[in-house]
Amino acid sequence: MNAQTRGSGPVVWAAVITVTCLLLVVFHAALWLVVPFLVALVIYYGLRPLANRLVLAGLSVETAAAIVSLAFLALLILLLTFLLPWMAMRAVTWQDSVGRYIDGGVALLLQTLAALEERFAFLERVHAAATVRAQVVDFTEQFGQKYATTFAMTLATWLPSALLAPFLAFFMLRDGRRFQHFVSRAVPNAFFERTLYLLYEVDRTAHSYFQGLLKLTVLDAATLAIGLWAIGISSPVTLGLVTAVLAWIPYVGSIAGCLIVVLVAATDFPNQPTLAYSAVGLFLFVRLLDDFLFMPMTVGRSLHIHPLPSVVMLFIGGAIAGVAGLMLVLPLLGVVMAIGETIGQVVTDPRLRARHAYAKRLRASEAAADLSN
Amino acid sequence: MLTGFTKQTRLSPRWQQLGRVKLFAGLKPRELKIVSSLLHEREYLKDEVIFDEGEEGQAIYVVLAGKVLICRQGEPVAGRIAELGEGEFFGDLALLDDAPRVAQARAAEKCRLAVLFRADFMGLLETHAVVASKISLQLARDIGRRLRVMTQTYTRGVS
Repeated sequence: MNAQTRGSGPVVWAAVITVTCLLLVVFHAALWLVVPFLVALVIYYGLRPLANRLVLAGLSVETAAAIVSLAFLALLILLLTFLLPWMAMRAVTWQDSVGRYIDGGVALLLQTLAALEERFAFLERVHAAATVRAQVVDFTEQFGQKYATTFAMTLATWLPSALLAPFLAFFMLRDGRRFQHFVSRAVPNAFFERTLYLLYEVDRTAHSYFQGLLKLTVLDAATLAIGLWAIGISSPVTLGLVTAVLAWIPYVGSIAGCLIVVLVAATDFPNQPTLAYSAVGLFLFVRLLDDFLFMPMTVGRSLHIHPLPSVVMLFIGGAIAGVAGLMLVLPLLGVVMAIGETIGQVVTDPRLRARHAYAKRLRASEAAADLSN
Repeated sequence: MLTGFTKQTRLSPRWQQLGRVKLFAGLKPRELKIVSSLLHEREYLKDEVIFDEGEEGQAIYVVLAGKVLICRQGEPVAGRIAELGEGEFFGDLALLDDAPRVAQARAAEKCRLAVLFRADFMGLLETHAVVASKISLQLARDIGRRLRVMTQTYTRGVS
């Protein structure tokens, strides 16, 4: 019964990869629904233990789900009530800071290029520093015109769907088990045990993945914060947290996180480029820790996917659905793999098929018992 | 909403039936309610196979109505081991590990079964340890009883 121990044939694997790619295309088209659904899943797995406690205390599943969801919503509203005015007050300062940090980063880049030009004649001949400066100036001048409107429109489109997440989480808490029973009722007796095993595998995979992701974020944020604090860079906790959250997007997120840290280091200490380089070194060290220690300890264990197909699927996911594809492809592959392997085992098991055919004959003869008289 | 903390849990006929099952003996009504939400109900016709000998077990079955025959694989008459009625349970070793089933289970007559999956039982151990330990105790008692019967049978056979 254990899907992992028996392994799967190439046909099942080909089907798993094809279905994952097709789902990515569909999800990419319906991203406004997929993202709140994923957020709802994270909330659901976070709140489920609390709801279970309330059920043990004597409440019904429905009441426990309602109480836990309402408490979460109240906390969220409370947080936003305090956070939004604070953010509005600081928006102008932040805008200035962003501009300052970008200038700091550009200064570091030009400084490095100038140093390189002194050493390598071919860079001096192509005027590398001047070319990069011109391109950066061009990009920053047109950035607002090009992307500000798109950004505002995207935010306006996403806000209503983001509000869906707590409601979806509530229904998952209230009706999750009912849904599982509903699905299991549709399964014939012969396939029942294996199919239920499949549902548990899917639930276990999703649960471990999202829980692993949260643990990984905490570990990453703590390690980065300690490292940045040791180097002497300002706001180490905030920077650690932001970069750890950005790391949810494989590859691209890590690069973006590293860039932010370098920008801050270059701006805080404009005359000490070694500090920015140390920040890059720290980032690379944390990435290595992440890949070889933290990931296998948290997310990696949950999916049971070989590193090679994981990397290949990350590239495919990125090509099909961009950043969203990068984020979705691994959990999606884990779930489709669990379903595909179990369906493969059920369909190819002659004994189960024979038992099902026999049960069907029994039911047919029971239904026709009084018709022959 | 908070009345659930104080009011007495009323038992539905299904819970009352579950309360009579040996495996769930000693569970309080609200604990029974938790277990009940984990159980799947299945109906089997006479002669329908519930599980085969050698199959990897994932769940324990409780007879809610009807009778179930436990026998050697494909030998319902010559290989008859036991016949279980309402309130009794079988396939219990699957709750402990995923070892293969040691016998075949078939419906001796049209029957209704409640099924508790190992994954749910393991979840119960984490979330509701008291409930899970009560079930484990009943399970251990039943396995002990069967071991005593087997030992007596063996001793008689030797003497």
